Amino acid sequence: MRCDVDLEGLNEMKYLPLVWAGIWRKRSRAILMLLQIASAFLLFGLLQGLNSGVKQAISRTHPDRLYVGSSVSLGVPLPISMLADIERVPGVKFVTPLVQLPSSYQQSTQALPVDAVDVQAFFAMFPDYIVPRAALEAMKTDRTGMIIGSTLAKRYHLKVGDRLTLQSEPRRDGSTAWVYDVLGIFDVPSQPSGASAAFASYDYVNEARVADRDMPLLYIALADSVAHAPAVASAIDKAFANSSHETRTQSEGDLVTSQIQRIADLDFIVGAIMSAVFFALLFATGALMMQSIRERVPELAVLKTVGYSDRLVMGLILTEAVVFCLLSAGLGLALASLILPQARSLIGISSVPLTVVAAGVGFAVALAILGGSPPAWRGLKLQVAQALAER
Amino acid sequence: MTFLKQTIELTTTGLRSIAQRRGSSLVTVVGVTTAVAVLVSLLAIREGANIFTGQNARPDSFVVVSRGATSTAQSVLTRDTLAVIENAPGIKHSPDGRPYVVATALVSVDVFKKDGKRGNVYLVGFTPGSALVQSNVTIIEGRQYRPAVHEVTVSDPIRRMYKNMNIGDRLDLSGTEWTIVGVFAGNDSIGDSVLRADAATVMSAFNRNTYQSANVQLESPAALARFRDALISNPAVAVEVKSTAQSMQDTFGQLNSLLNFVAYFVGTVMASGAVFGALNSLYGSVDARRRELATLRAIGFNGGPIIVSVLLEGMVLALPGAFLGAAIAWALFNGNVVAVAGLIFKLTVTAHLLSVSILWAIVIGLIGGSLPALRAARVPVATALRAV
Repeated sequence: MRCDVDLEGLNEMKYLPLVWAGIWRKRSRAILMLLQIASAFLLFGLLQGLNSGVKQAISRTHPDRLYVGSSVSLGVPLPISMLADIERVPGVKFVTPLVQLPSSYQQSTQALPVDAVDVQAFFAMFPDYIVPRAALEAMKTDRTGMIIGSTLAKRYHLKVGDRLTLQSEPRRDGSTAWVYDVLGIFDVPSQPSGASAAFASYDYVNEARVADRDMPLLYIALADSVAHAPAVASAIDKAFANSSHETRTQSEGDLVTSQIQRIADLDFIVGAIMSAVFFALLFATGALMMQSIRERVPELAVLKTVGYSDRLVMGLILTEAVVFCLLSAGLGLALASLILPQARSLIGISSVPLTVVAAGVGFAVALAILGGSPPAWRGLKLQVAQALAER
Repeated sequence: MTFLKQTIELTTTGLRSIAQRRGSSLVTVVGVTTAVAVLVSLLAIREGANIFTGQNARPDSFVVVSRGATSTAQSVLTRDTLAVIENAPGIKHSPDGRPYVVATALVSVDVFKKDGKRGNVYLVGFTPGSALVQSNVTIIEGRQYRPAVHEVTVSDPIRRMYKNMNIGDRLDLSGTEWTIVGVFAGNDSIGDSVLRADAATVMSAFNRNTYQSANVQLESPAALARFRDALISNPAVAVEVKSTAQSMQDTFGQLNSLLNFVAYFVGTVMASGAVFGALNSLYGSVDARRRELATLRAIGFNGGPIIVSVLLEGMVLALPGAFLGAAIAWALFNGNVVAVAGLIFKLTVTAHLLSVSILWAIVIGLIGGSLPALRAARVPVATALRAV
């Protein structure tokens, strides 16, 4: 009296209560297993979220902004005489030299990094940095002026009109105290990590330096269009080829990528950790599901006796695995999206990206199918008479 | 029956039943193993960075940087300042009167890894005092660089990690060709992460007129006060004198704590996964022995020994993971070199890391055993036996 029930039938939904009951058959074991899988997906969500946060930051960059550094390495200074040569390259709209002056405010632990630039050119090239026009006007006449990011201003309780003394590299007069006047505060609404830079006049800073005077760290140039940018970049490099200061011009995105590569190979580290995590998880789900099925052999035999086909029993076991893994993965990813915003200022990302969620769902299904196959196979091969006899 | 005897009896039966629950016991072992392996691998990077803590530095060695410099790379020392340092009281002198002072000039250099990826190392120029202050740096192949002729020596890890870094290879740095003439070894402050050359040659090739920092060796650790006072009271220089450990902490402290945070954060999440696995396994163990435990309670076994025996079982399940995990990390990564932020770390799995992993395994076993142990001790005798 066996009537084959079609797995693909329209009313397959009716099996869901059965699957659900199977999952919670031993509640405490199911909850612990759920938490175990969830902790793995929590880690997946966090690490992969961090990794793609970095990639998103790269995609937000402006490809028409070009960074001209020494071909030896970014950070090897270039002579200021190159400024005029770069300005002459066709397609270059604006150029500014950049000098970075790591400085501290009041205590050595309170960092306030100063970027010395041609302030007018700089803010013309960075329309995403919002600054009051009056502040830019004031910078034209006040040599010691400074425009400071809103995040920094808030952190150190600074306001327009303040006079700051920062500790930094030695000056020509032998002191290490640098004085600036806060003339304006800028904001970068598009930047999740906020505005934590401070800009001063290149001329003022350069003149006072002992080390590397007339040797800026790099130049930032703006190409007249995004489409022209790659050609402009190679034209700049060509202009200095075979000189004693060969350049390597990078787009903003390339610059960020190479700076991150310099710190660590994120893809490799995240990949290696996640393979270890999923290896352990595969093992755990496989073993526990096998145990669960072993305990339910008589029940499965009864199902087969009342007419469930071999394939249907196998399908039920696999569905159970998939539903359970998706549930756990969902919990882990939800936890990750709760935690990740806490690191917002650090990595500039506020939620687990959809691509990461999709990848997590894919992993959960793969985990369920790989881990659930051995028990499902056992369900398929189960011999009713023998199974009931064991009872 | 004594507490001890009861505990031993119970633990042996518990351990014997592990064999019957091979699957879930293995899950615990694998879970602990992977958690420990990942933790140890990540910590091994930090352990390799340990030479950047300066803990093993000589007590009479100090670092001079410009006032307010938060890392040696940000420090700026002029030639005049260096002369003041060399003539300061307290500096050790060689028999022929040369001061134990070495100043460095740092240049970041882009290089290519063997797999074609871009990386960067530091070309560091040392003043001739290097031979005195850094006498532990030795040439193991080829010869020492000579001044004025653009020659460099490389470390063995750099030679292994990057392209074109063998003796005889040439580096073209902005129109100047540098020849690699030797391989050095030895722990100095920046270790294996640099190409070494003569300071004056590096400075002239890169239009520099200043050094970064200076390392000095004093007549004795007690000479520090005299040396420091002389420099600080001199209005012509603005410098700070730091211990090597302090200087390393200022320069690499953030990187060290970041490495620590990542290792322990990832390790904690993985360990909590392993704890859930262990809980499952031990609940299984207790449930399987429900009747047995109830019987024992009925004939006079106490709750205490039952709790201890389950906790011991948890640790027995967790401990192999500690050794396996540390062994896997050692086999895969020990001695590997990785580059982080322009510094080269040799991953080292030390005895200290083994003790960390044992500690973690014990904690995982204890937490994983605690709840099942309580359940075991509270098995209601009557209901459990009625179920027979």
